[in-house]
Amino acid sequence: MNIQNLSLQYDDMDAPVLQNVTFSLGEKECVLLLGASGSGKSTLSRCLTGIYPKELEGMMEGEVTFEGMPVNEASPGTMSRRVGTVFQDPETQFCMLTVEDEVAFGLENICVPSEKMEKRVETALEEVGLLHRKKAAVISLSGGEKQKLALACILAMEPPVIVLDEPTANLDPVATDEFIALLSSLKELKNITIFVIEHDLDPWIDITDRVLMLGRNGSLFYDGPLQQGVDRYARDLYEEGIAVPGAVRMAMETGTATPPYPLTARGLAAGLSAPLKAVSGRENGPALIQASGISYKSIFSNVDITISEGSFTAIAGPNGSGKTTLSRLLAGIDPVSSGRLTRPFPDKDWFQHAGYVFQNPEHQFLTDSVWEELAYSGAGDEKIEELLEWCGLTDRKDFHPFTLSQGEKRRLSVATMLVKDQEILFLDEPTFGQDAKSTSRLMDLLKEKHRAGTTIVMITHDMDLVDRYATGVVVMKDRKIGFTGNPDELWNEDLVAFQLKEPFRVRTNRLIKGDMYVPQ
Amino acid sequence: MYLNNLNPSVKALTILGLVVALALLFDPVTPALFTLVTIAVTFLFGDFRRKYYLFYLIPFTIFAVGMLWTTIAFADAPKNPSETVGLIWWEVPREDVLVAVSLSFRVLAFATMSLLFIFTTNMVEFLLSLMQQLRLPPKLAYGIMAGYRFLPMLTTEFRQIRAAHRVRGMGQESRWKRYRRFAVPLLAGAIRKAERTAVAMESKGFTGTRERTFYRNIRVRKKDWLFPAGMGAIFLLLILLSLRFDYFSWYQGQL
Repeated sequence: MNIQNLSLQYDDMDAPVLQNVTFSLGEKECVLLLGASGSGKSTLSRCLTGIYPKELEGMMEGEVTFEGMPVNEASPGTMSRRVGTVFQDPETQFCMLTVEDEVAFGLENICVPSEKMEKRVETALEEVGLLHRKKAAVISLSGGEKQKLALACILAMEPPVIVLDEPTANLDPVATDEFIALLSSLKELKNITIFVIEHDLDPWIDITDRVLMLGRNGSLFYDGPLQQGVDRYARDLYEEGIAVPGAVRMAMETGTATPPYPLTARGLAAGLSAPLKAVSGRENGPALIQASGISYKSIFSNVDITISEGSFTAIAGPNGSGKTTLSRLLAGIDPVSSGRLTRPFPDKDWFQHAGYVFQNPEHQFLTDSVWEELAYSGAGDEKIEELLEWCGLTDRKDFHPFTLSQGEKRRLSVATMLVKDQEILFLDEPTFGQDAKSTSRLMDLLKEKHRAGTTIVMITHDMDLVDRYATGVVVMKDRKIGFTGNPDELWNEDLVAFQLKEPFRVRTNRLIKGDMYVPQ
Repeated sequence: MYLNNLNPSVKALTILGLVVALALLFDPVTPALFTLVTIAVTFLFGDFRRKYYLFYLIPFTIFAVGMLWTTIAFADAPKNPSETVGLIWWEVPREDVLVAVSLSFRVLAFATMSLLFIFTTNMVEFLLSLMQQLRLPPKLAYGIMAGYRFLPMLTTEFRQIRAAHRVRGMGQESRWKRYRRFAVPLLAGAIRKAERTAVAMESKGFTGTRERTFYRNIRVRKKDWLFPAGMGAIFLLLILLSLRFDYFSWYQGQL
């Protein structure tokens, strides 16, 4: 597959999304395209599959060819037999109700005879390990299973090229690793070219043959092997919003390595003599919110938990384990069905003292501009200026909140919750779907607030964040509290049972000690 | 069970035909009998959660009773005011009662027939059958299917937004203004989701043309004709009965 001088601009935007992008995909290659959110990655994937220029409202120049044939000349539907796509959002890429119907949908579209379909559906489901869920309803699958199903749908159509557009962005770390392991075994098994679009490089290191790096201005700035790319651009990658591998980040932060940087924990450990230290200051203050024996409907019963004053508490655990329910109860959004919940402020003006940042920032916006959004919460002009400055949105103050980028929306939603200098802030997976740069900006802001005395309760899957910022951690499992205490104690527990992944620092330290612990 | 395995298009057309036929008649007895027959057929040949059926029937029954009362209370001036019947403590013209009863049973007959269909039909099979037997364009059918998946997502999203707004301290404003604020994020979310689903469908080769094969082939078998034949026969029998006992009447705009 060849992409020549591809440039693309949408009608309603001033700057082009893609500029002069040229690269090629060889047979059986696994190529990783790195780029921040908003850098035109998804646009590029649509060009590869021939959806653009057909559905494009804008201008597209350059040429995309498949085996020498221009993609835009292919008749509608034929491209789907050549290039299959797995999308980012597990919820919105299906249109049927059951697993088997969904896989068959693609086959029906390309007119596979009915008699042959059953066999192909079963083979595809077998390959991704979902055969036992053949008759299940799509809604009953977990996020990880949904992405595997999406892959099965593509495999059934047997295209030579598979494009994956941030396939693991909405999955927890364990499901991410499982998905990538599946992909790498399929790569060995079948002759497929894999093109992955990502902003987080870490989990993909092992299966990548070559990387492309896409800048915020929409042009490629690197095309070649991973090691050289990282060595040359490690610092720029951060600026571009791409997550550098954990090993490289650690190496740069601790100054323990120079290029060529180690790419994996093993490589980093080989060059270290002493274990990497944990952040200090994990002592907790007196209890602020105390729950004893609280229950909520049939979701969970008899939960005891204490949030201490001035703590940074992380709530972790697999999807569906009750993390969100717990934090909503603690935050007083849902009333407890029974049990005792002691909060430091009266119910009447509780939300003057506590803020809750929802998973989707758009849900919380009420007005038509960034400025009004903060004013609505009751801030004076001076306070608004200060908050805008704090979250870096001063030059965006007249924008409609919905037109901001993902990272900006998130920061605004946090800012609206801090207008009254709330003492307690709850956040529901604030780093989900954010690129590396906006994640670290957000975390810096939260750290600053935490230092100033705000109590923070944050739901997260990311153990690296827990390791770096949290002073306390609560792990939910099967709608019960599985663990509560200090993060450093948690790393000695059986993390696999909690569906959590060791933070990078801990993994590296284990390898230094010569521990033959192999994470799957 | 027979009704669940019946070809959905045949079932739908039969019910549609019966509804039209029933709409042409206007006497109290035929729809009443037909309602009973429909319920009996549903329970004998259908497989579904019995409790839910009754649960769904209740609002229709209340509606029918309400209709009975309003029709009597607000009836036109009767032609034979002398002929009255005693309705508990209330003397009403016989004619008005007949019209009201006919109307109420009509409502019930339509309701039970719809319930028969809803409770014994799988939505996906119905859409597949509409495409395969009645040539419904796939573009429409799969659009409905995708939309059907969206409904539960929209309700969860609505709840999320409501909670999120409450945290922001909403509640002093009028209800109308509050709902208007819900609309923007809800619509923005829905449009984005719809677009993503459309792109995903297209990338799986969906073009909306009729040229496609089917994983599940829905056919019309001989035994499927038993349902229209049986229901038609019962209907004719009821009409013969009404002619025999001389209460048959066409619908002539009574109300």
